[in-house]
Amino acid sequence: MDTFIQLTLNGLTLGSVYALIALGYSLVYGILKLLNFAHGDVFMVGTFIGFGAIQLLGGTVNPIVPVWTLLILITLAAMAGCAVLGVVIERFAYRPLRDAPRIAPLISALGVSFFIAYSMQLLFGSELRNYDTFSLDGGALYLEGFDIGNVRVPMIRIITIVSAFVMMILLWLLVSRTRVGKAMRATSFDREAAAMMGIDIDKVIVFAFVLGSALAGAAGVLFALRIPTYATIGFLIGLKGFTAAVIGGIGSIPGAMAGGLVLGFAESYAQGYISTRWSDLLVFVILILFLVFRPQGILGKADIRKV
Amino acid sequence: MKRRGMSAIAAVAVVAAALASTASAGLTVAAKTQAVSCKSTLKIGFTAPFTGGAGFLGNEQLSWAKYAVKTLAPKYGLKIKIITGDTPVELGPAIAQTVAQKFIADKTVVAVFGPSTSGNVVASSKAFFDAGLAHISASATRTALTKGLTKSATPAFFRVVPGDYIQGPHDAHFMIKKGAKNVVLFDFQEPYSQGLADAAQLVLKAKGVSTTRLSVANTVTDFSSFVTKVASDADFVFFPTQKPADAQNFAQQLIEQGKKAKVFGADGANDSTAFKVAGSFVSNFAPDISQFSYNKSIIDGWKKDNPKETLGSFGPPAYLAAQVALNAIKRACDQGGGSIKDRRDVVRNIKRILVKNSILGGIFRFSTKSNDPLNAGFYIFEIQRDGRYKLVG
Repeated sequence: MDTFIQLTLNGLTLGSVYALIALGYSLVYGILKLLNFAHGDVFMVGTFIGFGAIQLLGGTVNPIVPVWTLLILITLAAMAGCAVLGVVIERFAYRPLRDAPRIAPLISALGVSFFIAYSMQLLFGSELRNYDTFSLDGGALYLEGFDIGNVRVPMIRIITIVSAFVMMILLWLLVSRTRVGKAMRATSFDREAAAMMGIDIDKVIVFAFVLGSALAGAAGVLFALRIPTYATIGFLIGLKGFTAAVIGGIGSIPGAMAGGLVLGFAESYAQGYISTRWSDLLVFVILILFLVFRPQGILGKADIRKV
Repeated sequence: MKRRGMSAIAAVAVVAAALASTASAGLTVAAKTQAVSCKSTLKIGFTAPFTGGAGFLGNEQLSWAKYAVKTLAPKYGLKIKIITGDTPVELGPAIAQTVAQKFIADKTVVAVFGPSTSGNVVASSKAFFDAGLAHISASATRTALTKGLTKSATPAFFRVVPGDYIQGPHDAHFMIKKGAKNVVLFDFQEPYSQGLADAAQLVLKAKGVSTTRLSVANTVTDFSSFVTKVASDADFVFFPTQKPADAQNFAQQLIEQGKKAKVFGADGANDSTAFKVAGSFVSNFAPDISQFSYNKSIIDGWKKDNPKETLGSFGPPAYLAAQVALNAIKRACDQGGGSIKDRRDVVRNIKRILVKNSILGGIFRFSTKSNDPLNAGFYIFEIQRDGRYKLVG
């Protein structure tokens, strides 16, 4: 039972991060019908911005600000930096290709992905970057928390999971309850009709990139709080975020959340009960199965075509 | 007529092939026998990871090799330049072949320091051997490189540190001495960790210690599920990674999940700036070299050249490797009347080198049975609360 609880906790932590990444894919796909394969690398840049911000704030052994302030500041820095990066990517890699055949922005997205990853590698090297959160407050983030049976739920996991859920709920409220959210939904439903109704499509698209990239930045920090990062980590994590978006129903915000969690649990249980070697294989088998048998995903709507 | 024509073509082809073969043979011989004057600047290649997760290792070794060349080469009347080839561990062994070809193509390269990792030795030793280039590693420890029926390195490969055949059992005996009853051993699906884990597991099993073997891809950075698989009553986790940040992360995740097992990293995790969870262990092929009084001037000189660096345990073996190489080059020069007629002359001299006051302690010489050091040992350090590595075994 303890193993099951621990694996569930592992899956929830991982799934929360996947869900945040998947939301970025879904937001952009919902509006532009574009698979933004550079999204994983925006996530990676977020992990690096967080690392840089920690150094600027004095490191983890003797930070110049209290622990909670440090955590909030590095997350905000990563979100802001990634939001700017998202806007730049949209402006220079996707906007010029908006009316091109769909394959063109897809190839551009792959190009941007490699460009970002290898530029970061050239600039900062390929070594692992560890936030060293273990040194924060004498290891309090790892040692404090609560227990479920014999399983420890440390503070660092609580921070990751709670932050991810808060951001997901805020995003859902923004999209479903606000004026800008309504504009996003309208653009997603029918871009031309939305434009005719006076919605500034360019602004909506840029806003979608800002939101998606900021979430990727936050996901990057939440991920790297516990796990070292490196320049090419974005490709595989991005693919998993994309898989989560497909599983949940790409274009659907609740779907992206559900897909991320399903993927996190699947990966964790596979590692725990089947084989650690097979977990990535299982993830992509699930992707193929969904694409073949339920392409609209768990919460997506089937594409109805009128003849 | 047609048949005669075919025969003529075949004959021309055979003659052409024979000529080409002779010409290429001549070229090969010429390449091998091209003499290099010892009065000119000779080069030594240095192949190691200078970037990536194990970049600390290569840079530490390079600083010591440079210091050795700077201080020792003039004593031998040699002008030596070190040229580097970066082989990040994340890129796998293929990059080692590219670097090897670069060194081989440069006729003024008379010896090579490295490769630093066992996988890269396997990938490039044959090419170095064919080119007659001695390659001396200060950190490649896989047993099969120099021992066994099918050695995975060639006779041109030497190492100044002992292999896993000493490290694995030494680490295992230490864990047993510390009362280990249950040990989890990891490998990272590459030669370095597999060799070490195999060697340690063999001894642990023989002594009745319960062992569990887990295998993880070298690219994995989240060990949560692996940590979940570590039994609550496990005493040690043997974790021979080449990336100290991974050892740190694994130790953190063990604490995060409330597991009491201590992490036992090998030489690849031996980096006090990256792996610093108190109570963990690392083993290494070099002791604290400052305990030998004759090393004082060497350490002081190195510190003067590298004021920002701390004294680690990967660097001193590189100093020794450089000392051995320079000695062998000097001998080859003397035998060749002021020039190295064939790079193999350096290879032939290496086994004869004897260093009286080795930086690693005592007399250094190679075994007569293999290209390994004679009577070498491994040393175990425990990480202290202040991050210091204390010699404990």
